[in-house]
Amino acid sequence: MSRRPRTRRPPVRGVRGLSVWLIALLVALVATVQIRSQAEVERSLVGVDTTSLAFLIDDLHSANESLASQKTDLTNLRATLQSGQAGAADQALTDEAQRLRAIDGLIPVQGPGVVMELDARGLTALDLQDALNNFMAARAEAIDVNDHRVVTGVAVEQDGGNVTVGGAVVSPPWTISVIGDPVKLAEVADLMTQQLLADRRVRAAGYRTVNDIVISSVIREKPFVYAIPS
Amino acid sequence: MSRLAGVAAVALVALAVGFVLAGQVRAQLLTPSNQVARYQALVRSVQELEAANADERGQIADLRAQIDALESDAAARSATTQALKNQVSDLRAHAGLVAMHGPGVEVFLRNGVPGRDSSSGSGYQVNFQDVQDLVNLLFAQGAEAVAVGGRRITPLSAFSGSGGQIVIDQGPPLASPVKVDAIGDRNRMLAALDDPSSLPGVRARQVQFSLHLTFTGLPDISVPASDSSLQVPHVTAS
Repeated sequence: MSRRPRTRRPPVRGVRGLSVWLIALLVALVATVQIRSQAEVERSLVGVDTTSLAFLIDDLHSANESLASQKTDLTNLRATLQSGQAGAADQALTDEAQRLRAIDGLIPVQGPGVVMELDARGLTALDLQDALNNFMAARAEAIDVNDHRVVTGVAVEQDGGNVTVGGAVVSPPWTISVIGDPVKLAEVADLMTQQLLADRRVRAAGYRTVNDIVISSVIREKPFVYAIPS
Repeated sequence: MSRLAGVAAVALVALAVGFVLAGQVRAQLLTPSNQVARYQALVRSVQELEAANADERGQIADLRAQIDALESDAAARSATTQALKNQVSDLRAHAGLVAMHGPGVEVFLRNGVPGRDSSSGSGYQVNFQDVQDLVNLLFAQGAEAVAVGGRRITPLSAFSGSGGQIVIDQGPPLASPVKVDAIGDRNRMLAALDDPSSLPGVRARQVQFSLHLTFTGLPDISVPASDSSLQVPHVTAS
């Protein structure tokens, strides 16, 4: 009985097999790493991109500085009231009343800022509202549009083809006078002017920085009918 | 000979593939882990700043309460001071510095469903302009006090933000669902919210992205006092 001849695998097949396994292993490794990394990124992103986060950080820095400054003012006011000096409370209350009247838009005011001129056809209440909000976001302290005082809460509405501010029609050209930090306001006015000039509806747009703007328009105080202090 | 050449070729190919894959693994490992670390650092910064923000606003609210108490003490000793204090209290209420309650409406804005094509962008998200338009509509219908996500709107309030984030004044960002409370004539405000011609931007996205706008009238709702800054350093009475 002859022995069955032993079949020897050719060495090249063994090397090939090993290569295939190595490649498969590497591919699996890469795929695993890739999938795990991707999952980690997605878990932490929660829908907010890094650019938005960077803007948010900038906004929060600025907000916190503003809050800290307000806190200093209030601390000083508290110290004045705590001093108990004759007339200190009356003076503090008189100053506070005047400051609040300016904020509420109840008295004429003046100060540095920018005046923006805008002539356009077909601009809507939403366009004006956006422009006013842009100035508000740049910490505007008093705003007037064509001799109509604007604060947040004064309605800017579309009435057919007209735009109304506090119920009064304001026809173009619009002159928007804004009191506040002239540097911040000028930055916003500059950006808006560039955008407006690219708008086909706009015939002319520009702004100028003014050292002393006088806003004479005022808002008539409305008594509360429904709201009661808690 | 030919077998040896074959083995060498396979080894070379395997080596080349190995190098390429190793490079790829290193690159892939590096980029995402850096992205994650950078992102996490940004998130940590935001969280720290938000904590500081909440702390500052809390201190401002405390200081305003202390000042109010000191003014009341002084007013109790003098009729003139009492008259001044009454004026200031009324002006503060109009400036959003006093918590209020009364009948009104409660409105919710919620994100819709993202579009299937990439061109639809973030239209499904509630953005700051939606909130700005809604608040403007409510004021136009006679709202006397408005709060967005518990943040009181003041005469100097501004709306900003990017994507689905809504920033009001110096507060932390808000996101969907956004709750807006307004005290005033309920029927008038509800009629305006029901009007299909109002809030055109929101209505269009209700159809396109199923953005949610829901509202209800309530007999008594509360809005808090503002805890933001109300400084006007550049303005003087003329």
